[in-house]
Amino acid sequence: MSASPKVFGSTAQLIAVCPLLAMSDTVADALGIGAAVLIVVPLATVVLALLRAQLTDETALAATMLTVAALVACVELLMSAWLSELRTALNLFLPLVVSNLIVVHHLQARHGTLGGAFGGSVRIAVGIAITLLPLGIARELVGRGSLLHDAGRLLGPGAGWSEIGVFRVDMGFMLAMLPPGAFIAFGLLLAARNWLTQRRQ
Amino acid sequence: MATRAEIAKPVLTLVLLAAALTVLIVLVAGITRQRIVHNEQAWILQRLDALVPPATHDNDLLDDSIAVQSPELLGTAQPVRIYRARRNGMPVAAVIRAIAPDGYRGPIELLVAVAPDSRLIGVQVIRHDETPGLGDAFESRDVHWLDRFRGRSLTDPPTQRWTVRRDGGDFDAFTGATITPRAIIKAVRNALDYYERNSQRIFELPPQ
Repeated sequence: MSASPKVFGSTAQLIAVCPLLAMSDTVADALGIGAAVLIVVPLATVVLALLRAQLTDETALAATMLTVAALVACVELLMSAWLSELRTALNLFLPLVVSNLIVVHHLQARHGTLGGAFGGSVRIAVGIAITLLPLGIARELVGRGSLLHDAGRLLGPGAGWSEIGVFRVDMGFMLAMLPPGAFIAFGLLLAARNWLTQRRQ
Repeated sequence: MATRAEIAKPVLTLVLLAAALTVLIVLVAGITRQRIVHNEQAWILQRLDALVPPATHDNDLLDDSIAVQSPELLGTAQPVRIYRARRNGMPVAAVIRAIAPDGYRGPIELLVAVAPDSRLIGVQVIRHDETPGLGDAFESRDVHWLDRFRGRSLTDPPTQRWTVRRDGGDFDAFTGATITPRAIIKAVRNALDYYERNSQRIFELPPQ
C-alpha cells in the first residue's frame, strides 16, 4: 500500500465525519454516536494491525470492511439491549459508523506498529467524538434552546433533571436541527479551526 | 504472477477472519436477544398502557393479540397487530397498530384504540420520521393535537369531513405542516373503518 499524502488523510477524515454529522442534533445523540466511534475504530484498528502480516494490499480493504461492519453490528445489538431508547434515536445512523472504515484503512497504511496504529486510532476517534460534541451543543442550543434535552436516553430515565432550558423557543430555529444545520455548523467549526491555525503561524 | 501459496494465504486469512467475526456476532446476538425482545415489549406496553389504562382491563394485552391483514385500510401489506383489552371476558378496547403510509417522510406508525361502541379512545404516534420542528408537532409544540380524536367515530364527523380544515374537513392541521396531519387523520379514519367492518371477528379470533 502506498503511503497516502497528507491531503488524503484529512479528506478521508472529513468524509468519515459526514454521515455522523446527521446525529449531532442534540447533545445526547452526539455523545452516543461519539461513544460508538470510540469503541469501533480503535478495536478494528487493533484487529487489523494484528492481521497485517497475513494480508496483501488486495485483501486488506476487504478485511477492513468485514471487521468494521461486524463490530458495528455488535455495537448495534449491545445498544439495542442496554440503551434501547438511544438506539431508537440513532436509528439508521448507527450503521453509518461503518463509514469510518476509511479512517481505519488509512491508519493501517500509515502506522507500521500495533501501538502506533492503536494510538493513531484513539486520537482520531477522540477527535471525531470531540468534533460532534460542540456541534451537538450548538445545534441543540440554537434549535431548541435547551441542553441535554434527551439525556434520559443516555443516562437512564433518572436523568430527566439534567435538561437545561437555556431559553424558551416556540418553533425553535429549525435550520439548526435539520441536516443542513449540521453542515453549516461543521463549516463554521472548520473555519474557526483554520483561522486559529493561521493566526498561530 | 503470484504463486499459489501467495494467493492462498491472504484468502485463507480472510475466510478465517470472516468465520471469527461471524461467531462473534452470533455470540453477541445470543447474549442480547432476550433483552432486546424484552425492551421491545416494554416499549409497546408502555404506549398501550397510556391509551388503555391497566386498571380498565384484566387481561394481558401482549398475549391477547391477533395479527390481521388489510392493505387498503391498515396502510401496509404486512400483518398488523391488534391488541384486545377485556374485563371479565367482555371487550373493553381494541388497539390497532395501523400505519399511515403517506407521511411526509415515510410511513407513520400509530396505535388507534377503539371502544366496543366504535368510538375512539385515543390515538398515539409510536414511530415516525417526520421533519423535526414541523411534522413532529404532535410530540413537541402541539402535544394535545392527538387528543382531538378522542370520542370521535366514523359518523362523527361524517366521512367526507374526516380530513384537515383546508380540505373541507373538521380537523385543524398544526402550524407548518399539512401532509402529516392529513396522513394521520386518514389512517385513523381507515382504522375505524376496519374496526367497524370486523368488530365481531376482532374479539373472537384466538390469540396468535
